[in-house]
Amino acid sequence: MAEDLVLDTAIRDWVLIPLSVVMVLIGILRYFVSKLMLSSQVPDPKIVKEGQVIVRARNLRAAANFIPPKSFRSRRVYFSNEENGLLFVPKGQAQNPQAQMFSDPNMAMDMMKKNLSMIIPQTLTFAWVNFFFSGFVAAKIPFPLTQRFRSMLQNGIDLSSVDVSYVSSRSWYFLNLFGLRGLFSLILGEENATDDTQRMMQMSGFGFDPSKSLGAEKDGLDILQHEWALPKFEHRAEAVLKKLVR
Amino acid sequence: MVSKTEETQLNRLENQVDNGGGGAWEYLCLVRKLKARRSEKVLKYGLSILNDPEKRSALGPEEWTLYEQVAIAAMDCQCLDVAKDCIKALQKKFPESKRVGRLNGMLLEAKGSWGEAEKAYSSLLEDNPLDQVIHKRRVAMAKAQGNISGAIESLNKYLEIFMADHEAWRELADIYVSLQMYKQAAFCYEELILSQPTVPLYHLAYADVLYTLGGLENLHTAKKYYASTIDLTGGKNTRALFGICLCTSAIAQVSKGRNKEDKESPELHSLAATALEKDYKQRASDKLGLLTSALRSLKT
Repeated sequence: MAEDLVLDTAIRDWVLIPLSVVMVLIGILRYFVSKLMLSSQVPDPKIVKEGQVIVRARNLRAAANFIPPKSFRSRRVYFSNEENGLLFVPKGQAQNPQAQMFSDPNMAMDMMKKNLSMIIPQTLTFAWVNFFFSGFVAAKIPFPLTQRFRSMLQNGIDLSSVDVSYVSSRSWYFLNLFGLRGLFSLILGEENATDDTQRMMQMSGFGFDPSKSLGAEKDGLDILQHEWALPKFEHRAEAVLKKLVR
Repeated sequence: MVSKTEETQLNRLENQVDNGGGGAWEYLCLVRKLKARRSEKVLKYGLSILNDPEKRSALGPEEWTLYEQVAIAAMDCQCLDVAKDCIKALQKKFPESKRVGRLNGMLLEAKGSWGEAEKAYSSLLEDNPLDQVIHKRRVAMAKAQGNISGAIESLNKYLEIFMADHEAWRELADIYVSLQMYKQAAFCYEELILSQPTVPLYHLAYADVLYTLGGLENLHTAKKYYASTIDLTGGKNTRALFGICLCTSAIAQVSKGRNKEDKESPELHSLAATALEKDYKQRASDKLGLLTSALRSLKT
């Protein structure tokens, strides 16, 4: 049924705005708490070295055409040599990064702290929203939706005849959760602890996996064809000088 | 490296502060950001801000960064008492700080007590074995003491871990060139070109080293790199133009017997000579005679 429900403006005053304000405040609170709980991480020398090796290998791939072919080849051998090349990781040794992460107590603690600082406020806020702000229509989404979203967006409303565009406050909570990220990066500067979505994406791909990236760099280097760009430069220099002298 | 716009901005600010206009704090911030080395000015203006309690409190938490900057500038100008005062103030505020420990080490270095400075740095490194700045200070100490081979060794060890640090590669290349170890210097310059291929300075230096090494192949490669420098600088680099002329004549000398024609760029040599003459006419017309006679002797 496509009739327009008239929503009380009191809903806007007492539901939508306070919810957003509360979420912003909680975000700021989490930011400061995370700053207090920041433990200085001693970087592992092996990981630092591997990071630098990767940067150097990437530079080699990017600018390979600027150095003479002999130097490029010697560098390629240096990197991908079977015995002691920098990028070569023998198959057995490729450590399972998950196991490594759990065995290292510092890293495990850090991950737990980060997870907790994300999960607890989210859970609490969600429970609060459900308790106080359920059972009524909070807002109308401006575009039409299919019926499948009904269960997700209309959880407190038990009327099946209401249009799916009329949603409950739970969906407003989710909207704020993902949308306030931009606002936070404006207020708090980049690199704030409230960047949940980024963290959630990171959780699925388990952190820094050095052996895989080394292998990827090695493959990239192996297939690279060296085409020395310098002879072209002679012609270009000629053209430049011709223009200059004219 | 400082870009041209930033350099002009820095000079403008410097002139402004020199002639009595305000803006000392912006000047100091810019110097700090660009890591330029203008220690006398920094010392003068930094001290004027620090000694004025009103201005000092206006800075807020940035006051301590200013202390650090002035301390380093004072050590550079050998005003060690000023440096000691600044470091004492910093130590009172941040008693367990690694940064202050580093400044203490630098003060010992400036005084010339190398053994104590070495001890201070080693103890700092024990706590934090991956501190890049301390490693580099040790290399600088070895170099200042005249122990160049020790400097090379520590720099190589540093580069084994931090191989993406192009400033370190540059320093190593400088040291090798000063010791005339040109092959190793060429390797370092190749690393620099790899990491920053559009900076003409490295192409030029690499070409110089190759030209010095000599040998037909190296001379050809050097000529190519001089050409790339000309391309990257729009023909304005005098050294590269000279380099082209010298390379061409050297190649002609080395391959006197063989009839190997330079198919790739027959006109490059004459073009470079013409560009040089034009440049000299504009900027140093009294030396034009010298130039033409030198170029003529190269051609034969």
